[in-house]
Amino acid sequence: MTPLRRREFLRQAGLSAAVLPFIVGLPSLALAAPARPRQRLVVVFSPNGTIPTAFWPDAAGRDFALKEILAPLAPFKDRMLTLQGVSNKVRGDGDGHMRGMSCLLTGIELLPGNIQGGGKSIPAGWASGISIDQEIKNFFQSRPETRTRFGSLEFGVGVQDRADPWTRMSYAGSGQPVAPISDPYQMHGKLYGQLRDRESLRSVLDPLKTELAKVRTIIGSEDRRMLEAHETLVRQLEREIAENESALRARPPELEPGVADQNDNVPRLSRMQIDLLVNSFVNDMARVATLQYTKSVGGARMNWLDITDGHHGLSHEPDTDESAQSKLIKINTWFAGEVRYLAERLAATPEPGATGSMLDHTMIVWTNELGKGNSHTLDNIPFVLIGGGMGFDMGRALKFDKVAHNRLHLALAHGVGHRLPTFGKPSLCDGGPLALG
Amino acid sequence: MAASPRLPLLLLAGLAAAILLSALSCSVTPAASVAAGEQIYRRQCADCHGPAGEGVAGKYREALVGDWALPKLAHYVAKNMPEDAPETLSRRDADAVSAYIYHAFYSPAAQERLNPARIQLAHLTNRQFAVTVADLVARFTPPPAPPPAAETPDPAEVGLRFTAYGNALRGRFDAAKVAQRGFDAAGIDFVFAPGSAARARFGATDEFSGQWRGTVFAEETGDYEFVIRTPNSVRVWINADPAGGAAEATLDVNVSNPQNPDQRVTVRLLGGRAYPLAIDYWALPEKAGASPVPALALRWKPPHGSETTVPARLLAPGRAAPTFVLATKFPADDSSQGYERSLSVSKAWDEAVTGAAFEVANHVVRRLDRFAGTRPGDPARAAKLAAFAEKFVAAAFRRPLAEDEKARFVAGPLAGAPDAETGLRRVVLLALKSPQFLYVDLPGGAVGHRTAQRLAFALWDSAPDAALARAAAEGRLADPAELRAQADRMVLDPRTRAKLREFFAGWLQLRYLEDLGKDPQQFPGFNPELIDDLRTSLGLFVDDVVWGERSDFRELLRSEFLFANARLARFYDLPAPESDGFVRVAAPPGQRSGVLTHPYLLAALSYKAASSPIHRGVFLTRSIVGRALKPPTVAQTFDETTFAPGMTMREKVVRLTRAENCMGCHSVINPLGFSLEWYDAVGRFRTADQGRPIDAASDYHDDDNRTVRLAGARDVADFALGNARAQEAFIEQLFQYLAKQPPRAYGPGTLGRLRESFVASGFHIRKLVAEIAVLAARHGETPPPVLAAHVPRPAP
Repeated sequence: MTPLRRREFLRQAGLSAAVLPFIVGLPSLALAAPARPRQRLVVVFSPNGTIPTAFWPDAAGRDFALKEILAPLAPFKDRMLTLQGVSNKVRGDGDGHMRGMSCLLTGIELLPGNIQGGGKSIPAGWASGISIDQEIKNFFQSRPETRTRFGSLEFGVGVQDRADPWTRMSYAGSGQPVAPISDPYQMHGKLYGQLRDRESLRSVLDPLKTELAKVRTIIGSEDRRMLEAHETLVRQLEREIAENESALRARPPELEPGVADQNDNVPRLSRMQIDLLVNSFVNDMARVATLQYTKSVGGARMNWLDITDGHHGLSHEPDTDESAQSKLIKINTWFAGEVRYLAERLAATPEPGATGSMLDHTMIVWTNELGKGNSHTLDNIPFVLIGGGMGFDMGRALKFDKVAHNRLHLALAHGVGHRLPTFGKPSLCDGGPLALG
Repeated sequence: MAASPRLPLLLLAGLAAAILLSALSCSVTPAASVAAGEQIYRRQCADCHGPAGEGVAGKYREALVGDWALPKLAHYVAKNMPEDAPETLSRRDADAVSAYIYHAFYSPAAQERLNPARIQLAHLTNRQFAVTVADLVARFTPPPAPPPAAETPDPAEVGLRFTAYGNALRGRFDAAKVAQRGFDAAGIDFVFAPGSAARARFGATDEFSGQWRGTVFAEETGDYEFVIRTPNSVRVWINADPAGGAAEATLDVNVSNPQNPDQRVTVRLLGGRAYPLAIDYWALPEKAGASPVPALALRWKPPHGSETTVPARLLAPGRAAPTFVLATKFPADDSSQGYERSLSVSKAWDEAVTGAAFEVANHVVRRLDRFAGTRPGDPARAAKLAAFAEKFVAAAFRRPLAEDEKARFVAGPLAGAPDAETGLRRVVLLALKSPQFLYVDLPGGAVGHRTAQRLAFALWDSAPDAALARAAAEGRLADPAELRAQADRMVLDPRTRAKLREFFAGWLQLRYLEDLGKDPQQFPGFNPELIDDLRTSLGLFVDDVVWGERSDFRELLRSEFLFANARLARFYDLPAPESDGFVRVAAPPGQRSGVLTHPYLLAALSYKAASSPIHRGVFLTRSIVGRALKPPTVAQTFDETTFAPGMTMREKVVRLTRAENCMGCHSVINPLGFSLEWYDAVGRFRTADQGRPIDAASDYHDDDNRTVRLAGARDVADFALGNARAQEAFIEQLFQYLAKQPPRAYGPGTLGRLRESFVASGFHIRKLVAEIAVLAARHGETPPPVLAAHVPRPAP
């Protein structure tokens, strides 16, 4: 790709030049085409419900207008589905936030446990089943052609360092929550620690050879054989490092140093995590990711939007509180902007070894643990799908009549070729996968 | 193993002279006969055995070396050689050729002459690597915080300190709500049922919480699977610092899971050390009517053991800093000589070293500011980190760094890195991959530091500690008295104890024992718990002897005491212990003789349903009386169905091994093995086998061909304790395990002098250990080490 052509490509994608450094980091996109087009899933979570009147399009079908909260996603309108009328129908112990979060991707009840939720709810524990992201990850990992180094990556932004049903949506199985990684430096280490280590290892080989040669001259001739063998091993290691040089398609993103995991850094942390996420996809380290903003009942104070109240507190204010409503719209619009940034990054990156962009092969599912904050309803969960690759007919506003969200999970599973008969609680799967094609 | 090189003619001439000299001093072998024997050997034997007895591939590969006395060798040759026509060799010619073989290459003396041992360059063994990096990191790890002034001194030696609270705050503990403080001397296994004594300590509340603090001692190195059993919430730190909070916790169960109360985590621990252990526990009510009964148990599955409550005797209320324990797996050390040593390098080893170096580097870098005594933003941080890096490399190299080394090992990597953390990572990486770290005792550097290094590796498998390094730096180790004083100090360190524990496990061949299970019909009650008890009992016995005041090797072989708990006492008909746990009890007179008859060993050296005189005999031959054995010439399986019903085990073994080519070795093995026929497959004392009285007596021919009547374990012990070869065999094994070099490399007569000194000291094991370590430490220095000279001779 010549520089000129790359600029054209960026212009077509409607992106600013700020994306350039990331793309320049891709040494080679010329890869053998995969036997089957790659498919990926990203689940993005933001908490505390939405403001339905500023979220759901009025019309159904292809001819719909985006309202305020979804306005940032306008460039992707024809690659988007809004799914009104999907409900989390899982009942049982635990409060609404707990079930909203821990049953969101699992579609099954919570185990008994000692976590006391709000109101007069019955104490409960972890979810009693696997989540859909992990189910699809396991499906991909079970087949050589879709297996990747990590299978799935769990990103967090501002998730507090505690473990309970309000902070976990991903489950490897019953009672086995998967913790998201909120620290981009830790994630960078997980993804590229080997690379960094390789650099460090390479840097010590020359001094090491010098030392071994020096020692060889001071020991007796009878013992030299071992030293010579040792020197051979070091040379061998040097060769191996050189041969492995270009194993990555994209260089790791260079993270801005010293961004602490704290409230006011959330906007920067969000972008760092998204850059890492897209980068990991380019390098095909995983086909499934989750990106969790704070947690259920998350109380982020979005000072960068000039909002000093905590998010959760605001979400309890009545519909009549206009100030709170406008702040909540602003907050949810900000989340939509982050989803847009993710979609842009994917759209700006050609799919390695195939036609189209990475977004054409990735389905983003943006969701929430509640439909609406002040009612704590688990109906009308704000589900938005952006992307492609699963055979869904995109560019529509869909309206359902209180269908169980288990059926959406089934549609995702079927979309990647994993033809599960049921997912989560079987009785909530009547009707099979939601028809999105 | 490579065959010995062919001896050049000139050397052969010299050899002939040497043989002549030794032959002259030996009345039974005239020189003329040796010369004739050589002619016979060249004509009739060398084709298959090689010109110097080194063996011939495709014919007879084994080298002709061994420890039979000459008459026995001659007898064997006369009866069996040449293999195709033994009758063609006259008795006179057999004597002559045997004398030649014996003096030219067969006997231990000939071997020592032909292959003079030397101290070979070795890299760290796996154990040395793990212990050395643990101690290296420990040097920079801040000690555990002292107990608060208000805390009462520990009243008990075993068990954990606890604080009980009358409320539950999810991992926080409110000093104002303390209901009770105390010690749990019986281990951690509670059911806090309403109304129970266990519950009462928290006061009458629905919500309660508790904290347990102390240490857990690991007896063996390996993977420990800990199991925390609770339907409630718990946070556990094992070999981790609870001050680090939930992020450092080994196990963090904030959300209870009463349906699945077992939480498992595997922690690798180095044997012979105490590790910090902390438990935070809280119980909150759950669904009305379905709330589980609160409970808490700390269980584990130790290496070689079955899952059980962590024994209270291994818990203590004190404090300890966490130990860095390497997780990287190394390829097994070369143990072809009967002890681990490392005389070659391989790709797998090099990769393991790299992995281990990164592990250490990551550990250090995560704690960098704490280790270097600085903090982010400190204007002197860069200087402090560089100073720390220099100290780290010097500690890794076991000596101070020269100026040019500081540049190469510290300044260079720091300057070339993009940031301080990466720089430190590279410093650690380079240091731990360098020959100065990896090889023990490289030439160069000041004499004192090499002495210190050899001493510390011999006793601890680790680098010198600060006190020893200081003595080395001040040149004090040149003084034999100071060196011995250091050795005596270091012998009492837990690291010597840990190393000796491993030695005895190897000496008793316990290391690779996994399945001791027996026929459950015949031996009901011999279950995994009992087997665990037996292993504990043997460990306690060895520790008790070695670390007791007398440290008397004779007690190890002759003691009539065992360590038993109630379960063992019942099973083995021993006096019932009066207290819980393991107690030293006396076996009925005449039934037991130290480790030789410890039921764990006897059970290990048995078949599923019957004793095995062959396995027992081989153990006694190699470890106790110190004779060499060759692999069997014919592979035989012990097949019960081939024997007539009613035959005793002794009769079966006699029949199985009666062939002449078996009896070469079995004439040694069988009498020793039969002496233990008083014990069945689980090591219980018995007086009959197959309804017939036990016949354990036989004639044993020692290495000088003297006949000794052996009728029981005590006879074997008495023989071994009075026999120079047996004494030297023990000393040799201990020496090799400590120094990782053969004693022969330390000059002729080394073993003999150590033996005299050992006997003179009343068979004092710890003194022997110190003496070996000093000898290894001072080797090659001037003046040559004085060994037994200062030890008074035993009274005639």
